[in-house]
Amino acid sequence: MVYRLVEFELSKPPPVIDLAPEENGIGLIGRWHDQLIGFEMIAAAPGSTLSAGELRMLADQRFAPRVLIAMVEAELTPSSLGHTFLPSLSIAICTKDRAERLSRLLRSLEAVCDNSPFGPVEIVVVDNASTDSATRKAVESFSDVRYVFEPKAGLDFARNAALHAATGALIAYLDDDVVVDRNWLTGLAKACGDNPGAGGFTGLVLPYRLDTEAQIYFERRGGFGRGFYRNEFRGSRFDNPLHPVGSGVLGAGCNMAFERTLLIELGGFDEALDTGAPLPGGGDLDIFYRVLRSGRTMVYEPQFAVYHEHRETVAQLRRQYWSWGLGMMAFLVKSRRSDRELRSRHGAMVRWWFVDQVRTLVRAASGLRGRDVRFGLNELWGGICGLAGEYDRSRSRIEAIRELNR
Amino acid sequence: MTAPSLPVRHLDLSAMRADTHPGDAPAFSIFWWKELPLGMRASLPEELPFSEAQLRQLTAEYGAAQLAARRPALGAPLRATHEGRPKQALALSHLLAEHNLVEELDMLATAPTPPTTQISAVICTRDRGEALAGCLRSMTMQRSAPGEIVVVDNSSDGNARPVCERFPEVRHVHEPRPGLSIARNTGIRASRGEIIAFTDDDVELHPGWTVEIGRAFADQSIDALTGLVLPARLDTPAQRIFQLDKGGFGSTFIPLRFDNRFFAETRPHGAHVWKMGAGANMAFRRSLFERVGLFDERLGAGAAGCSEDSELWYRMLADGGVCLYEPRAVVFHHHRRDLVGLRAQIRSYMKGHVAALIVQHDAFHDRGNLVRIFGQLPLYFLKSFLKGLLEGRRGQPGTLAPEIAGYAAGLQFLFRPGWRREHAPRLVANGVDA
Repeated sequence: MVYRLVEFELSKPPPVIDLAPEENGIGLIGRWHDQLIGFEMIAAAPGSTLSAGELRMLADQRFAPRVLIAMVEAELTPSSLGHTFLPSLSIAICTKDRAERLSRLLRSLEAVCDNSPFGPVEIVVVDNASTDSATRKAVESFSDVRYVFEPKAGLDFARNAALHAATGALIAYLDDDVVVDRNWLTGLAKACGDNPGAGGFTGLVLPYRLDTEAQIYFERRGGFGRGFYRNEFRGSRFDNPLHPVGSGVLGAGCNMAFERTLLIELGGFDEALDTGAPLPGGGDLDIFYRVLRSGRTMVYEPQFAVYHEHRETVAQLRRQYWSWGLGMMAFLVKSRRSDRELRSRHGAMVRWWFVDQVRTLVRAASGLRGRDVRFGLNELWGGICGLAGEYDRSRSRIEAIRELNR
Repeated sequence: MTAPSLPVRHLDLSAMRADTHPGDAPAFSIFWWKELPLGMRASLPEELPFSEAQLRQLTAEYGAAQLAARRPALGAPLRATHEGRPKQALALSHLLAEHNLVEELDMLATAPTPPTTQISAVICTRDRGEALAGCLRSMTMQRSAPGEIVVVDNSSDGNARPVCERFPEVRHVHEPRPGLSIARNTGIRASRGEIIAFTDDDVELHPGWTVEIGRAFADQSIDALTGLVLPARLDTPAQRIFQLDKGGFGSTFIPLRFDNRFFAETRPHGAHVWKMGAGANMAFRRSLFERVGLFDERLGAGAAGCSEDSELWYRMLADGGVCLYEPRAVVFHHHRRDLVGLRAQIRSYMKGHVAALIVQHDAFHDRGNLVRIFGQLPLYFLKSFLKGLLEGRRGQPGTLAPEIAGYAAGLQFLFRPGWRREHAPRLVANGVDA
């Protein structure tokens, strides 16, 4: 199973797409004058041809309303906005034993950083206890990339190391399994210029490739997608009494940026979350939540986009869903304890989450969708493990790591 | 969320760069582009004021929706689908030719000057002098006066007369037989205009109301019109529950044509005519009443409950008529302030709804109406009950009990053969009963 990723510039005539015999669909990325407008997955017979007419019809249905909004917005945007003064920026990449992917990401960054709208831009790679020197060598092959070694294994150890090693007023975090879109930096600049005073930014995450069943399945189930509408989040919402406890709607940790001094004031990332195995999640939820609770705004900007390499195999994907449940509950247990003011919302979120998981499971089971049931069970089981003391276990584990490296 | 009060505010996005709300209280914001209503949303203090970027984005989203629905070059007008929602007909090839969209939006928002002398405005009232005075004041402040203003006084002792005498252009008609449908029919017979526009005594009109009605009926294919009913105030819990939990009188800001397609699509489960609008803001061509008859006097406040408006729309659609929902025709409704009154209203809505379904079934032998009564409604009650259990809304007064009570009360009409044999009165061309 392979879906080819195709870009379609909607202001030009649609391409004709001849699928190879092993390809049975496309992931269509719609742009309007280079601005990202939408993403659609379209199944097709292997080796078939998608005519210009078919694509045109599809684009009319799925992309045209969003294009019209973009057109009106462009007319409303004062042209002076592009010239606002932007602060210095640090781009932080935390990586462990993935030199090849890191090089791929650094190459994509090289292309976008050339004429940056920001003040000085630095790239900091935090090597999170890699077992060999490949990561360092990869960094050395690029000019102007700083290398920092963090011996304590754990993503949030690395993120905090980056936080203190960086010098920019703004810090943008990227995971090593993404590459950035060509408008990634201008997207972030737009979000910064538009939202003076925002504490953080999140962005769109599209698939990097859809070459395996697991990757296609993951993206179909929603992936990391948070849509193509800009969104602004503050500490409460009229339409969602549980907000900001369900902070997953803000975005994903593989593509986020913050005012650096704010993160330092907040005490950085919680190192007991996002530790890698056995608790590989929850750190992003936690930091989004704490930024909102500090009274600052967070902005989701779809033009601030990356492409994420999804898990390749079904086994890895199963583990990912399990870790989502685990991380979510570890985060909830922690914030329920540390943020007493919103305790009832945390409790209600736990209840809502389990009811929602069970409801999804029942729906999958009654539709005889075996795979959905299995993944659903994984996520549910992760949630149960997370609720059953995983956060405390993780805290004692990282304490041991800290001891070891003292 | 039981905030003390939810102040309603109006924001003209065409003239605004920054939101000046101090962010110390919640707000219910209604957005406009000059005279064109765009949308509404409720916000907590922390969500306010809206940032400049947020306002720009809201303008873009709302403005694009208006352009897509109103510009013929973009595929408009839109016909209602069974959801009572628009089905977009945009094509990229149309968009390529578009520029100066903000100017287009300005044009859409520019008030026209169609004739309004053919409009008879009819207000039915009963024992609500103060509210009526407010309504009449807004009526006399119309940018273009209607041909006549008729107040049908449905009180037993004609107590609206002194209020009407304060407004020289208002004609007072006393109809002592109680019932909103009876009062409306009296208003139709007493009025002379080709277009009869109804509003209620608990409503204030936007100054462009008559103008928009005149503009809509300039299209000869339109038999009826409904408009947007916005909340005037949201001060009490009852008013907030009605607007936010029960959906108020609808929330679509996109014009829609309700025609035979909508009727055919929804008929299998009891044509969803209640999605077409509200009696507080509706108008008809007089010729429609000649074709399909007057309001059914078994229905409506004072009789079975309500739905006398939607039952008439049902007859109109069955006859091939077309109703335009035009949100540019705006009224502001004063929702009930007290919870007891709200529960009574919800109960009578449901009772009237069931009664209207029975009436429609008897007149057209449409099984869809029974599907609605015995399938959809019980299922809706069950879902609401489960949702309530799950969300565990403590301290929130329930509205499900009065709905079920109203449903049960409505079912009684099934067993009243005499009641079921009656039908709506007819209107003959000279205005005398047949």
